[in-house]
Amino acid sequence: MAWHKPTSLTQAMQSLRLTTTLTKPSAQASRTTLNTLRPRTYATEAETIPAAAAPEINFGAFSQKPARIIPSSPSYFSGSPRFIDHVLKLEALQAKHAGLPTVATSEAPRMAWFKLPQFRDYVGEPVPMKKYKSLVKILQRLNRIQPDMVPEEVRKAVGAFLRPGNPYAVENIPRTVDENGRARGKGKRKESTAVVQLVEGEGEVLVNGKSLVDVFKRVHDRESALWALRCTQRLDKYNAWIRVQGGGVTGQAEAITLALGRALLLHEPGLKPVLRKAGAITVDARRVERKKPGHVKARKMPTWVKR
Amino acid sequence: MIIRKLCMRQSRQLLALSRRAPVSSRFQSTLPETPVESLQTSIRDEIPRAENPLFEMVQAQSEASTPAQEFTSDELQRSNFKKLGTTVKSSYDPENVIRNPPKPSQISLEMLLAAGTHLGHSTSRWNPQNSRYIFGIREGVHIISLDVTAAHLRRAAKVVEEVAARGGLVLFAGTRKGQKRAVVKAASLAKGYHIFERWIPGSLTNGEQILGHCETKVVNALDEELPDFKADLADRPALKPDLVVCLNPLENVVLLHECGLNNVPTIGIIDTDADPTRVTYPIPSNDDSLRATCLIAGILGRAGEAGQARRLKMAQEGRTSYTPITAQELRLDPFTGLAPGSEGQKN
Repeated sequence: MAWHKPTSLTQAMQSLRLTTTLTKPSAQASRTTLNTLRPRTYATEAETIPAAAAPEINFGAFSQKPARIIPSSPSYFSGSPRFIDHVLKLEALQAKHAGLPTVATSEAPRMAWFKLPQFRDYVGEPVPMKKYKSLVKILQRLNRIQPDMVPEEVRKAVGAFLRPGNPYAVENIPRTVDENGRARGKGKRKESTAVVQLVEGEGEVLVNGKSLVDVFKRVHDRESALWALRCTQRLDKYNAWIRVQGGGVTGQAEAITLALGRALLLHEPGLKPVLRKAGAITVDARRVERKKPGHVKARKMPTWVKR
Repeated sequence: MIIRKLCMRQSRQLLALSRRAPVSSRFQSTLPETPVESLQTSIRDEIPRAENPLFEMVQAQSEASTPAQEFTSDELQRSNFKKLGTTVKSSYDPENVIRNPPKPSQISLEMLLAAGTHLGHSTSRWNPQNSRYIFGIREGVHIISLDVTAAHLRRAAKVVEEVAARGGLVLFAGTRKGQKRAVVKAASLAKGYHIFERWIPGSLTNGEQILGHCETKVVNALDEELPDFKADLADRPALKPDLVVCLNPLENVVLLHECGLNNVPTIGIIDTDADPTRVTYPIPSNDDSLRATCLIAGILGRAGEAGQARRLKMAQEGRTSYTPITAQELRLDPFTGLAPGSEGQKN
């Protein structure tokens, strides 16, 4: 029961008093209320309350009423408001901190900006490549600010455009010979791919489970396949176990050359200049050129016929 | 012969090496007893060390090691040097018209003349409809009458102010190179909207397709967002501006055409080669000078600012000068005008 509590009692009495003052209609009476209120104190009241200030005007109804429908962004009519807002924000930052010292592009921390599809997901608008590149240009300029002087707002703004996870944090682990003494090398030439497992041994070579003579009938192919070992005079020091697939005989042989050269480098890194000079670790990236429409082959034109 | 020439050349240089510096020799000639060094040291001591910026600069350079320290010392040095020399009182700052544009009440013919708004095009390129704005011809170029420009500019400022005061959407469009900052500034002053890249054709006539995905919000009279009505915004037609200010009407023919089709009034800077009937409120002025267009955009932005201030002041008092959209209207389907559930009941 609320009546048991003394505070609620006083509240009830006050409300009674308020209603009596409100009901008085004449101006004279209302003028006298202040005088009449002051002496009327009740024993139950803890202390006399001076004339209470009028309650605050309730703006709630007005401020909760809808008035207009307006665009969320000032760039609404451009069709890509979020992107343009981002650009304007970054440009303002760049102008604000233009005076800060910068480092060379090569010394700036490497950043993985959003790829274009990721950025499109981020802003939710079909941004063309050219416009995104202009935004990245601003980001790169902000990124060139002296690393220990970058203001917090710039750091935050730039950080919003980074791909999740830092791909540049992972360092490449250099390949080495494994615990069983095997070195693995891969090579490609034309359409062929070769994988070589090289261990120290007596010079045995197996290509796809067969001997070298069975796979390569031509002496030239055999020579070129083992060229990395021959030019360094290591033919009888290593055993090679080779898997090769795709392409023709020449391609397979030269793919093995490259794979073997790379595997040998893992065993003996000091041989690099020799192998490079001998052409055993040089990649031949040429591939068959595609045929074009209107041509007979890649570049050959059909014979000219008069009429 | 070669050796003789070489000797002559080298000997001259050698002589020059041994010669005393002219300043110190003069000291010696007048006061042979006074040691030169003591004189120099006394001069150095007379200058208080802290006040000499050069001394501070040298000291700072020797102390600074990291780029951050170098930067702060450079800043200090710059601020020290700023106190030196004469103070330039009146100078032209090209940024000023963008940073702090003048108010419409400050428009003067001198200001317009200084901004080059009177320069029209070559007389051969004129549009005869502009003849009433043209003052005369000088060196084969039409000169626009500045008092007409000022009058039209004041009228346009009044229009922008009244539209802003009535809660209208004012769009500032300037798609020429270099107009971007002025347009963005004017829009931010007038709490309006800006376009500084290409106007996408159909943004008004085919707004559903082009602006359909752009966000809108419901606000109260005090411009505070009311998130409760977000659901009602789902399938509303795209918004249209209530006034378009175009800084280069010649390049934005499509924009002005769409505005005409949608009964959107337009304000445009009309050069002597433009068609003044393309816009509702022409401002005869030079539209090729960035200084002129920036000035006009800034003045209109300031006018919009005044209108917005007036509107917000009224809203503080609980009044609006426009009929606000009601919650009931928001609930209704914008196309059929029916309540969302009523259509299903009829069928």
